[in-house]
Amino acid sequence: MAVLQTPARSFIGVYMNGYMKYFGKKIVWYLITFFFAIALNFLLPRLIPGNPLASLISSATAGMTDSAAIQKIKEEYFHLYGLDKSIPEQFIIFIKNLFHGDFGRSTQTGESVSKLISDSVWWTLALQLPAIMIGWTLGNILGALAAYIKGAFDKGIFPFFLFLSNIPAFGLAIIMLYIFGIKLKIAPIGGSYAANLIPSFSWKFIASVIQYYQMPFWSIVIVAIGGQAIGMRSMSIYELNADYVKYSRFLGIKDRVIVKYVFRNAMLPQITGLALSLGTMIGGALVAETIFSYNGLGMKMMNAITAQDYPMISACTLLITIGVLIANFAVDIIYGFVDPRVKAAQD
Amino acid sequence: MEVSMRKDLKICGMCAAALIFTSVLFAKTNSVSELPRNETLYFNGQQWGAVVNTNPLSTNSNCWYQTQNTMSREIVWETLYMFNPNDGKLYPLLADGDYKVNGKIYTIKIKKAAHWSDGVKLTAHDVEYTFAVHKKYQTPIGLDAWLYIDSVKAVDDYTVQIVASSKNYNPLKILDSFTRFFIIPEHAYKLVEQRNKNDPAAIKADKWDECVGSGPYKRYIENAQKSVLIRDDNYWGKDKSMWGKLPAPKYLAHNLFSDNNAGAVAFQAGEVDVAQQFMSEIWKMWESGLPVSTYLDKPPYYQDVSMPTAWFNVTRPGLDQVAIRKAIAMAVDYDQIKTTAMSNYTYSMKDVPPCLMNPTNPERALIDPAALKPYQWAGKQIAEAKKLLDDAGIKDTDGDGFREYKGKKISLKVECPTGWTDWEASLQIVAQAGQSIGIDITTYYPQFSVMYEDMQTGNFDIIMWTNDGTGIANPWTRCYQSMYSNRGQYVKAERVPSDWSRYSNARADEILEQIPVTTDQAQLKKLYTELNIIWLKDVPGFALMYRPQVFYTVNESVWTNFPAADDNTNIPPTDCTDGYGIAALYRLALVK
Repeated sequence: MAVLQTPARSFIGVYMNGYMKYFGKKIVWYLITFFFAIALNFLLPRLIPGNPLASLISSATAGMTDSAAIQKIKEEYFHLYGLDKSIPEQFIIFIKNLFHGDFGRSTQTGESVSKLISDSVWWTLALQLPAIMIGWTLGNILGALAAYIKGAFDKGIFPFFLFLSNIPAFGLAIIMLYIFGIKLKIAPIGGSYAANLIPSFSWKFIASVIQYYQMPFWSIVIVAIGGQAIGMRSMSIYELNADYVKYSRFLGIKDRVIVKYVFRNAMLPQITGLALSLGTMIGGALVAETIFSYNGLGMKMMNAITAQDYPMISACTLLITIGVLIANFAVDIIYGFVDPRVKAAQD
Repeated sequence: MEVSMRKDLKICGMCAAALIFTSVLFAKTNSVSELPRNETLYFNGQQWGAVVNTNPLSTNSNCWYQTQNTMSREIVWETLYMFNPNDGKLYPLLADGDYKVNGKIYTIKIKKAAHWSDGVKLTAHDVEYTFAVHKKYQTPIGLDAWLYIDSVKAVDDYTVQIVASSKNYNPLKILDSFTRFFIIPEHAYKLVEQRNKNDPAAIKADKWDECVGSGPYKRYIENAQKSVLIRDDNYWGKDKSMWGKLPAPKYLAHNLFSDNNAGAVAFQAGEVDVAQQFMSEIWKMWESGLPVSTYLDKPPYYQDVSMPTAWFNVTRPGLDQVAIRKAIAMAVDYDQIKTTAMSNYTYSMKDVPPCLMNPTNPERALIDPAALKPYQWAGKQIAEAKKLLDDAGIKDTDGDGFREYKGKKISLKVECPTGWTDWEASLQIVAQAGQSIGIDITTYYPQFSVMYEDMQTGNFDIIMWTNDGTGIANPWTRCYQSMYSNRGQYVKAERVPSDWSRYSNARADEILEQIPVTTDQAQLKKLYTELNIIWLKDVPGFALMYRPQVFYTVNESVWTNFPAADDNTNIPPTDCTDGYGIAALYRLALVK
């Protein structure tokens, strides 16, 4: 028996069906990707040749002269870190522990990886989130302005953006450190807060955190502004020459309104870029954190990679993976709603 | 534009909120919110990453003040004796006067003034307990020391007797344990045993946050940015039987730096007083007007006690030939290593000729320099090295510029961990030396984890590593690690704990077994001289430089009166914390 539907209900039903299909597919793919990412996060660091406990063992056995005793220490360390088990066994333990938020212990220092991460991830987020957002916002505004105003403004500012976006981040950070920290002595040279302070809920401490925040923060923002501005300028110029802009002008629509259209359309790829930047930010601002001795996750991850610290590498890359997957998923969802072609493809 | 402005304001507001949120999140309440600069002595280079635990039995402490080695760090816990590398002697700390030896029995008196930071008396029973728990729970130092000890017994409250093993009699290892083991409080540590139900793994993993020690400082603040100790104003050492006063700084603080560069920048800015890290061209700091100094005011600036060495894998074809090994050692330009790789922090091999002894007077007094002279080299002796190879029939037969051994071109890899820049630079000079005598040597810098595995398993041609530096059991430990083949067993072993070259010499093994039981100084000198001649004749390895065990550079912006070679105090430059170096803390004064 044929079911009669009102045109409106039919439209919503089809509309939602398309989306359910679209999201369902996406979720399945993301879950599969996530599983493989976990497996790779676990496996890849363990395929690096060498002894990850070398540093701990060499310091524990320094000065020891009996080979049997040294061998016993080595075995004890391998047992302690579960490295005496086969890779599949280690993987099962790794997965089990993940459910308890336990990433194991750092093979460099023996610290709990979960604690290491929870100690530093907030510093990274507090540094990266505002820096990315402000760099992105300022860059986009300046890029759009350059495209719209053109003339001397664009001619002057565009090469400047190019210059900014091409400065290597470490170069800028070192120059800033040298000029403001060492020569002018108006900014702290490194750390997350003054060396003589003890973390406490006092204005002095908060003021110190803000003061120490400036150099790593601006070193990220300045580089980000250049890149974003160039991208936005190109997109805006493209949009300004699009047919719909010319048509709007023929129709006599005000410039202010046209600019709104242009800005909105030019923003689309920039939003994707922003989402991905936010997704990867958990990995830390490696350069800024290292040069300014900022207590973030990026610096710790860098050290972990150099020292072949399996548990720490696996945990950091897992966090980055999750961040990227969430960011991509968010972009997919936004696109699903914003871009009608996505839905159309599911029908 | 208004919309954008509003957005910007919103974002700025969010950032400010995030900042405050972060500050609050990390806020921890302490009795002080700031360490007064003129009461705090700052260090660098001793702690990388946060402290894991403060348990002296732990194998995983990563704690700068829980360092039990040949010169243990006497800040929170204390050893029976302190080693002084300046004169090679032991100085009593918890022990009262010198130890007495009767056959294999070592008797030590304990200072009656000694007590723990919680006020409980420190007695000989604590010493007995310390050795017992290290044995019971098989800690690295316990496993090693108990091979040479039969028993440790408290005879009364203030007398302890250590009986050396009859089977493994080695007086040097007994003395080594006097300077290595932190004595721990039985009454407090028993609680750790109880709460972990005597499970060795659980006990060794216990954080022991409430740690009790006998030293002049107590644990105060530990977090991801710093580790701070506070002076125990009730410290027993203020008794006239020990120091007679308290150490000058109220706080000892170690901020955690990301790397050497960050530590160096903080040091130059006066945020660090005592630097234990490599900083190149140190003299430029005082030339630029900074109040910076080192132990010696001229090269090598530091007290060199260790010898990073290039080890030949003597089981490899080509390297099994003494001529090739010796030719490489002779060809290396040590002066170039001195000036480029080591910033002049090493003596020249011309001034202090190579052997197994470090350049300190106590060690050099153990050899006869005249007897060693014919076998030593000064470096950059290209013509002599070439002649040595030619005479051994190792020549370039195919005209490609490189010599062949048994018809095959000699190609060698020389290895050290990546990122150890001064070592990398030294090995480049070794590679150049090889080229200059017709031996193809290339450098290889893998990760430390790979390099260490290569070294233990013999998967290398030439590898750079440092054996033991200084300590009461040295130079014997260093010689033993360098040459003892365990009666030939290490040559083909899958993995070796020392003797990286896999070199074997029956006479060398014999000498190394005799040295620890030899008390006659003349005989000891004879043995060490003979051992060194074997080393120089067979060249299983060669020292590339002399180097300090700990770097010691001080910034006198806040504190002054740091130990210096010419101050006649006999306090070693061991960062005011290690072995007898702790005596420095009692002399420090504020800059006026």
